[in-house]
Amino acid sequence: MHLTVIPERCSGCRVCELACSVGRMGVNNPKKSCVRVMVLYPHPVIRMPIICKQCGIPKCGEGCPTNAIFRENGIVRINEEKCISCNQCITSCPFGAMFLHEDLEYPLKCDLCDGEPLCVEACPKEALKFHPKHILGQAHRLSAARNYARMSKVEYMDGEQKKILRYAREKVQKDD
Amino acid sequence: MIKGGYFFSILDVDLTSGESNVVPLDEKVAYDYIGGRGFGARFVADLVKNSRKRIDPLGPENILVIAPGPLSGLYIPAAGKNSFVTLSPATGIYGDSSMGGVFGVELRQAGYDAVIIRGRAPELSALAIDDGRINIIPLPEARGKTTLETEQIVRQATGDEDMKIASIGVAGENCAVFSCVNTDWSRNAGRIGIGAVMGSKNLKAVAVRGSKDLPVHDLDALMDVSREGYEHIASHELFSFWQDQGLMSVVDYANTMGILPTYNFQQTVFERADKMNGYIMEDRYKIGDSACFGCSMSCGNICLVKEGKYRGTVTEGPEYESAAMLGSNLGASNFAYILKANALCDEVGLDTISSGGIIGALMEGQEKGVISADDLDGKTLNWGDEDGILEIISKIANREGVGDTLAGGSRAILARWPQLTGILCQVKGLEQSAYDSRAAISMALGYGTSDIGAHHTRAWTVARELENGENWSLQDKADLVIYHQNVRPLFDMFGVCRLPWIELGFPEDYYRRFYAAVTGVERTMEDLLACSSHIYDLTRSINVNLGISRKDDYPPARTFEDPVPSGPTKGSVVSREEYEKILDIYYEKRGWSAEGEPPISL
Repeated sequence: MHLTVIPERCSGCRVCELACSVGRMGVNNPKKSCVRVMVLYPHPVIRMPIICKQCGIPKCGEGCPTNAIFRENGIVRINEEKCISCNQCITSCPFGAMFLHEDLEYPLKCDLCDGEPLCVEACPKEALKFHPKHILGQAHRLSAARNYARMSKVEYMDGEQKKILRYAREKVQKDD
Repeated sequence: MIKGGYFFSILDVDLTSGESNVVPLDEKVAYDYIGGRGFGARFVADLVKNSRKRIDPLGPENILVIAPGPLSGLYIPAAGKNSFVTLSPATGIYGDSSMGGVFGVELRQAGYDAVIIRGRAPELSALAIDDGRINIIPLPEARGKTTLETEQIVRQATGDEDMKIASIGVAGENCAVFSCVNTDWSRNAGRIGIGAVMGSKNLKAVAVRGSKDLPVHDLDALMDVSREGYEHIASHELFSFWQDQGLMSVVDYANTMGILPTYNFQQTVFERADKMNGYIMEDRYKIGDSACFGCSMSCGNICLVKEGKYRGTVTEGPEYESAAMLGSNLGASNFAYILKANALCDEVGLDTISSGGIIGALMEGQEKGVISADDLDGKTLNWGDEDGILEIISKIANREGVGDTLAGGSRAILARWPQLTGILCQVKGLEQSAYDSRAAISMALGYGTSDIGAHHTRAWTVARELENGENWSLQDKADLVIYHQNVRPLFDMFGVCRLPWIELGFPEDYYRRFYAAVTGVERTMEDLLACSSHIYDLTRSINVNLGISRKDDYPPARTFEDPVPSGPTKGSVVSREEYEKILDIYYEKRGWSAEGEPPISL
């Protein structure tokens, strides 16, 4: 499963941060969540939750001097026994998806809530999605297929309404 | 015994000396006044009570209270509100205005229930509150900068990109009495001149960063109510429509009901409303949604002009009031221009409602020949004159030419041109919001008796009366106004937004349950409403102390004098006799004297 971010849908409400901090840390403190919404304006205009992508080759782990970061069942985790709080992982992550809070000894890092991410459930805009991996890219694939340039079309009446049906099929020549 | 919801800490900053103190919040004050606007009202009442001479709202003796509420920042629907409370330079009396966004949440996370700002900084400065560290940073380079530019300058000066900033534009620096304070790009505490009060204190911005856990007595119990609450809101049939259009959907509603301000409140139906409604916005301009902290309704619309004269204009907005007051009220329907005017008001930091009300009155004044082109620096302002409107907005912000008078708001304008009395729609010096009240006497009463002047959020009763009020008595109508005036302060006291309640029917009992889970104190709705009713009495008492009485509780003259000329409310006008009656009923129900004096002291 993969946690996907769709920034075009994000409103910047930060309900994901609340859900994470309340659910995972037991406190109402968005600064203690494993997801952060970046809000930029007006150049460019974007609202984007930043959250760990559970990389196949975790850069956070490559930077760790004590090998405290490990990958297990698709989730990148921190072994707190080994962690020396050097914070190297935080600067090593290319997405900035690990966080520090001065009350906490260890970095904040998403563990997908062991398979049922609270942020995804809470997002009122469906800007966060938790998908099987094979769905990744599906939206683009669908859009590419729908917008295929060389479609044929036929007009027809559906009751009173005129409708157009588009289809992709080569025109067959009668003589062939 | 309150077990959560408060840090019991008030930050008291004196800009004159540069000193700041943390003062403990008394538990009884927390219990009786709850927070936000309630705290602000209490502190302003103390100021007025303890002052021997009349306080100049723009003098260093005035205070500015910034107060989120005990529910601000919590995981409950739309809890991102924050109140600014002060004596208003627009009206000379009590004033408050609230903003959404995340500023108030950050302030609470810094560990304060409220901030009181006094005095005047020796030079243009920013107040930085970084968790427990307080800094007053001289910021002369920010003079004349827009609100957005100021955010960047403050972030550079503090070296912290995470700071959340509330700033004023050039209008605030110049003490234009309807200047706002702006945060998160386009969220404003818009009314009554908070920006001018900041400007008078040489306070260009307040920057906040906080990291503390918010105090909640029973987080599990809160989550139970909260999940139910979010689901309740999401299940409303208009929820997704609301996410799509937000308050812009009100343009069509107001036009259909015959209450849309048009040509300076002369008419109530705009023939080109379909050029500036929510659908036009969605189809041609909207590029994204925007929400305040913790809110699923995302009523903010980010809009971009992609072609034509205003190409490249991008802003969050407009919402209904801005679209109506800068659009139909000025005879302008070009949505791209409305966006431009809205963005300009945000940049210079001017209230869109007051700006639209004042410019509308100038246009009508010139049309009727009671003021001349010479009065406006040789310019004639025609209905829908986009360039003229944008120019006047800049002039007001910069106090150039006639802008110097206009920046003084309704009171200064009427002092210079008394002939605009029947034309400029205002109460107590505050320009009327974007709902015509001639067909709904309860709305007129709401404007007339609002403690801050003609603002709609005190008692927005117009829809209820027009939809259901055909057979209501004056008693019923006065009851509705009082109910609104009593329930609405609660939202500002808790630090939550009223829109889930008023727009999507979110039951107010939820807030009692939120409050109980957060504070560990079970209170009845009646008990909580008694607190907010007391706030209404208290702010009235402040105003009475400053000279307000029955004579000031009347809606704009037009409400009595000019029947609606066309549309579904055609012929409607409020009779003076009826109004006197309903005002008597209102005072009596409130327990105020016939002159409008509440039975409490400051």
